[in-house]
Amino acid sequence: MADFGTLCLFLALAASGWAVIASLNGWRARLGELVLSAERAVYATWALVLLSVLSLEYCIFTDQFGLEYVASYSNRALPKIYKFTALWGGQAGSLLFWELILISYASLIVLTNRRRNRSLLPLVVTTLAFVSTFFLGLVNFMARPFVRLAFSPEDGSGLNPQLQNPFMAIHPPCLYLGYVGLTLPFAFAIAALATGRLDDTWFRTTRRWTILSWFFLGTGILLGGWWAYVELGWGGYWAWDPVENASLIPWLTCTAFLHSVMIEERKKMLRVWNLALVIMSFLLAILGTFITRSGVISSVHSFTKSDIGPVFAGFLGLSTLVSVGLLLYRLPDLKGEHRLDSFVSRESTFLFNNLLLVGAAFAVLWGTLFPILSEAVRGVKITVGPPFFNEVMVPIAFALVTLAGICPVIAWRRASPRKLVEKIQIPFWALLGGVVALLLRGVRDVYALVSFGLAVFVIATTVMEFVWGARSRQKVTGQRFGGALLSLVDRNKRRYGGFTVHLGFILIIIGVTGSSAFRQEATASLKRGESFSVGRYRMLFEDMVSRDSPNAEFMGARLSIFDGERGVGTLVPGQNFYKAGQNPSTEVAIHYTLREDLYTILTGFDPHEGRATLKAYLNPLINWIWIGGGVLILGAWFAMLPDLRDRRRDAEARLLEVESRAA
Amino acid sequence: MLSLAPPLVVASVLAAEVTPQQEVEGRLMCYCGCSDLTVRVCTCGTADAIRAEIAGRLSDGESPGQVVASFVARHGAQIRSAPLKSGFDLVAWVTPFVALILAGSALVVLVRRWGKARGIPVTASGSPGAEAAGARTPEERRALERVRREMREKR
Repeated sequence: MADFGTLCLFLALAASGWAVIASLNGWRARLGELVLSAERAVYATWALVLLSVLSLEYCIFTDQFGLEYVASYSNRALPKIYKFTALWGGQAGSLLFWELILISYASLIVLTNRRRNRSLLPLVVTTLAFVSTFFLGLVNFMARPFVRLAFSPEDGSGLNPQLQNPFMAIHPPCLYLGYVGLTLPFAFAIAALATGRLDDTWFRTTRRWTILSWFFLGTGILLGGWWAYVELGWGGYWAWDPVENASLIPWLTCTAFLHSVMIEERKKMLRVWNLALVIMSFLLAILGTFITRSGVISSVHSFTKSDIGPVFAGFLGLSTLVSVGLLLYRLPDLKGEHRLDSFVSRESTFLFNNLLLVGAAFAVLWGTLFPILSEAVRGVKITVGPPFFNEVMVPIAFALVTLAGICPVIAWRRASPRKLVEKIQIPFWALLGGVVALLLRGVRDVYALVSFGLAVFVIATTVMEFVWGARSRQKVTGQRFGGALLSLVDRNKRRYGGFTVHLGFILIIIGVTGSSAFRQEATASLKRGESFSVGRYRMLFEDMVSRDSPNAEFMGARLSIFDGERGVGTLVPGQNFYKAGQNPSTEVAIHYTLREDLYTILTGFDPHEGRATLKAYLNPLINWIWIGGGVLILGAWFAMLPDLRDRRRDAEARLLEVESRAA
Repeated sequence: MLSLAPPLVVASVLAAEVTPQQEVEGRLMCYCGCSDLTVRVCTCGTADAIRAEIAGRLSDGESPGQVVASFVARHGAQIRSAPLKSGFDLVAWVTPFVALILAGSALVVLVRRWGKARGIPVTASGSPGAEAAGARTPEERRALERVRREMREKR
C-alpha cells in the first residue's frame, strides 16, 4: 500500500504539472481543448492525491511501523480518532493534507465555473495548479510520507500527547481550510491581472470563497485558543507564539479586504489596494507556513527543523515577484474614480478600518520577525513575547472597536454631522453610564474601563441599527416588529451578517478583558483533607485517583469545590502518563460558568509525604470568548448566504457572459 | 446595558495588584524549551525552580530589576520576555506606531484630496469622458436594459 501511495503521489505531480502547462498554453494559443485537458488534469490530481491520503491512513490504521511516518506518529494503542488525526501530526503528512485541501478547492472551482468566467479560468487553473505542483514536489522529494525504515519496530512512538485532544481533530483542518482557501482569490486576482480583465468579476466570483477562508481561519484560531486553554495547562488561550501569530496575520489582512471590497463594489475605487490585499493575504499564508515548518523562529508549534525552509522561501520569493510584477504592470489600467463625497462617511471609516487592520497585521509580523532582525543586525538573540504584543496591540484594538461602533451609524457617501451626533447620543450615554457603574463597583483598571465602555458603545450602536431598520420597514410594510426585523435581515444578509460578526467580536473583547484584567491565582501544597481558596471558591483535596487505559495511565487529585458553604461539584486535575514513552501531559479540570472559570492544575504529587501541589486560576468572563466566537461564526455563515441583490447581480453577470459569447 | 451585566458582576472581584514576584516572573521567559511562555504562566518544573529562585532573591533584598538582570547575565538577553525600551530594542516598540502615524497621515491627505475631486473619471488612455476601465460597455448596458424591460413586461 505504501508503494501504491508513492506511485499515486508521483502521478499526481505529473498531472498537476500537466495542468500548469496545458492551461497556460491553452490560454496563450486560445486552444479550448488544451484548457479542457488541464481542467481534467485537476480532477485527476485530486483523485490521485485522495488515493495517496487514503493509503497513508490505511498504513496508520494497520500499524505498518515499517514506515517512518507511522512509527513516528502512531502506536498500537492510539485511539482510532487520533490515528486518523495522525495524518497531520507530522511534517510530511500535514503537507499532504494541505495538498489534498488545495486540490479539492481547485476541483470545486473548476466544477463551479464550467459555464462561467471562461476568460479567467485558464489562468486561474494555471495558478492553482502551480501552487499544487509546488506542494506535490515537496511531498515527492523533500517530506515524503512513505519513507521506509531499515527495520520494522514492534510499536510506534505514538502521537504527541498534546495532540491527543478532540480539538486537534478540528483545529488543524480548520486552519488549513482557511490558509489554503486564500489561494482561490489569489488565483483569480492573478488571472485578472494577467488577462487584463480588471472588472469586478474576479472578486465577485471569489467573495464567498474568501469569506469561507476567513471563516475557517478565524474558527481555526478560536479552536486553537480553546485547545491551548484546555490542554496546555497554563490557564491562558493565546501566547503570541510565532505560529499563532502566523495564522492571525493573514486573517487580519483578509478582514481588511472583506471591508474594502465593499468600497470597490460601490465606488469602483481601491482596485489596486484590494488586489494588493488579496495577494498579501496569500503570501502571508505561505509565510506562515514557512515560519511553522522551517524552524527559522523557534516555536512549540513548529514541526522539526528541516531543509524545507529554503524551498518555501524560494517559492515565497517567486510568488511575490510574479504577483507584484503583474500588479505594477497593470497599474495604468487600474486607475478608478478616486472620489469621496465626504470625509465624514462610511467609506472613510472603512479606509481607516483598513489602516488599522493592516497596521495590526504589520505590528504582529514586525514583532514576530524582530528577533531575526536583531540577530542579523547586532548578533544578539532576543525574545519578543507577550508583553510587547499586549502593549502594542491594545491601543490598535481600541481604535478598531471604536470604528466598529461608529460604522453602523455613519451613512454611505455623506453623513451629516448633526445626524451623526444624534445617532450616537444613546450609545455614548450608555458608554458613560457603563464606565460610571464600573467605577462605582471599584474597577480602577484603565484598560478594563476603556474596553468595557467601548464594548457597550458598539453593542448599543449595532443593536440600534437592527431596531431602526426594522422600525423603518414596519412603517413601509405594516408588518409587526418581529416580522419586519426578520424580513429586513433576510433581504440584507451581508449587512446584518456583518453586524452580527461585529457583535461576536465585541463579546470576545469582553471575555479577553475580563480574563486578563481580573484574573486571580493561587498555589498550594496540600495533604488529604486540606484546602485552599481562590476568589470565592474553596477547593478541598479529598484523595488521589488513578485510571488505567491501553494508551495511558491517569493520576489525579480529587477536589471538592465549594462556593462559600455551597458545594458545586468535584474536579479531578491530573496528568496522563503515556505508555508509548512520551512526556506526561497535564490534564486540567475546569468548573465552567458564564461569570468565570475555576481552572485547576495538578503540578506535582509527593507520594512519601502524600502532598499534592495544586494551582488554581479564576478566569472571569473567559467563556464569553467562546460564546463570541460562536456568534461570529453564525454571522459569517449568514453573510455568505445569497440575498436578493447578489442573486440579481449573479444573474446579470451570467447573462452578459451568454450575450457576449453569442455575439 | 445588558452587555455590561457580566463585567459588573465580575467587578466585585477587583483586579489584583501585581506583586514584585509576579512582575519579575512576567519579565522572564521560561527556558524549559517546551513552551513559549513566561515564567509567570509556565507550569513545568523548570518554571517552578525559577520562581523559587526569584522568591529567594527578592526576599534577600534584591529589586525586581536586579533579579531580572542576574538572569540576563546568566542566560542572555533572550530570557527577557520583551525587548528593552532603549537602544536598538526601542526600534521594535516605536516602529508599528510610527508606521501607523505615517500611513494615517497619508490617508488623511488622500481622503481630503478625494473628497475635493470632482467631475470626469480618468481612464487608462487618459482621455476624459470615456468609460473608466472595467465599467460596462454601451452594448452590455443596452443588453441589460433590454432584459430588465422584458422582465418588467412579463410581470
